[in-house]
Amino acid sequence: MIALLLRLYPARWRTRYGDEFAALLAERPLGPFDVADVLLGALDAHLHLRGLGSYSEHQRGFPMSLRLGGIAAVIGGALWFGGLMWSMLDPADQDFGAVLAAFGAAALVVGLAGLSAFQARRHPVLVWAAFALPAVGGALATLGLFMLAVVGDQPVAGVYGWALLIIGVLGTIAGSLVFAVATYRTAALPRSGAVILGVSAVISLIGFVAASSQGGTGSSEPVFLAAFGAFAIGWIVLGLQAIRLDRPVMATGAGAA
Amino acid sequence: MVTPLPELGRFAEPALLILVSLSDGPKHGYAIMADVEQGTGRPMGPGTLYAALARLEERGFIEALPPVDRRRPYRLTALGATTVAEQLRELSAFAELGLRRLGQAPR
Repeated sequence: MIALLLRLYPARWRTRYGDEFAALLAERPLGPFDVADVLLGALDAHLHLRGLGSYSEHQRGFPMSLRLGGIAAVIGGALWFGGLMWSMLDPADQDFGAVLAAFGAAALVVGLAGLSAFQARRHPVLVWAAFALPAVGGALATLGLFMLAVVGDQPVAGVYGWALLIIGVLGTIAGSLVFAVATYRTAALPRSGAVILGVSAVISLIGFVAASSQGGTGSSEPVFLAAFGAFAIGWIVLGLQAIRLDRPVMATGAGAA
Repeated sequence: MVTPLPELGRFAEPALLILVSLSDGPKHGYAIMADVEQGTGRPMGPGTLYAALARLEERGFIEALPPVDRRRPYRLTALGATTVAEQLRELSAFAELGLRRLGQAPR
């Protein structure tokens, strides 16, 4: 993976920094946070070396941070919950709600990457699993949405769009549960946030199964509402905690950009 | 007044953290990351570190030393030391002003 990441940088940059950068990447396990940060770094190096060298252009850079992860987690939790509730409460306009939820799921994947810096060093496998579940789930859910929009409630190659959508939702919840466990074990962020996210993910999974067993009838809506609401609150709390931890040290006229 | 770090845009904050980390002697990339994380409680990714290191070296605030086992240490230049001292004085003066307005004494 290190060689692949290095290849993303311009050749001129690699000539100067490649060897020491590869040595740095090999020092500890890489997590989603590190990979996302290297991707942004590679993009920045291309912009920087392609004549975009005037000082003002440097503001294009966007370092990965807990803050970015926290903001994505808060937005993702709110969109995800809002989208699913919209679909549930307004059956006539389910598409809009589903699209909102898909954007929310994508934001949660970004949030997970942004908040995973410390956990990945001690539990890389756990954190990559936590990242992969919602990432794959999000892709499946998007495919499911596309199928529902194009062919409606008809199977394609024996697969229904709504089934992919459900698998996507379950992937997001399961990945969040794994991430909560990794965060709790590492204590990288306040454990209270990890507990809220973990418990709410379990409640969501139970609620999902309970509601599905009722055939998705109107009586199951309060169960969904409580379960998904708790899940969104879990992400929002964890995101806010990360933002609070990542206060800028230069947020003054002396140098903040 | 010397305030060149804002010109580093989004990398001004990592740049200051790196300069402070190098204030007590040369360090290689991993040691800088570990030092910054220990000092601030926040992660610094490898991409951010090297984006800021490249800018700092370009402007002559730091210089590379010969590599040791593929790890290349960096140290502050005289310009870098002056710059970081000035930057920290400004931050300190601003913090004191804020605390005075809040009616609280600096620690």
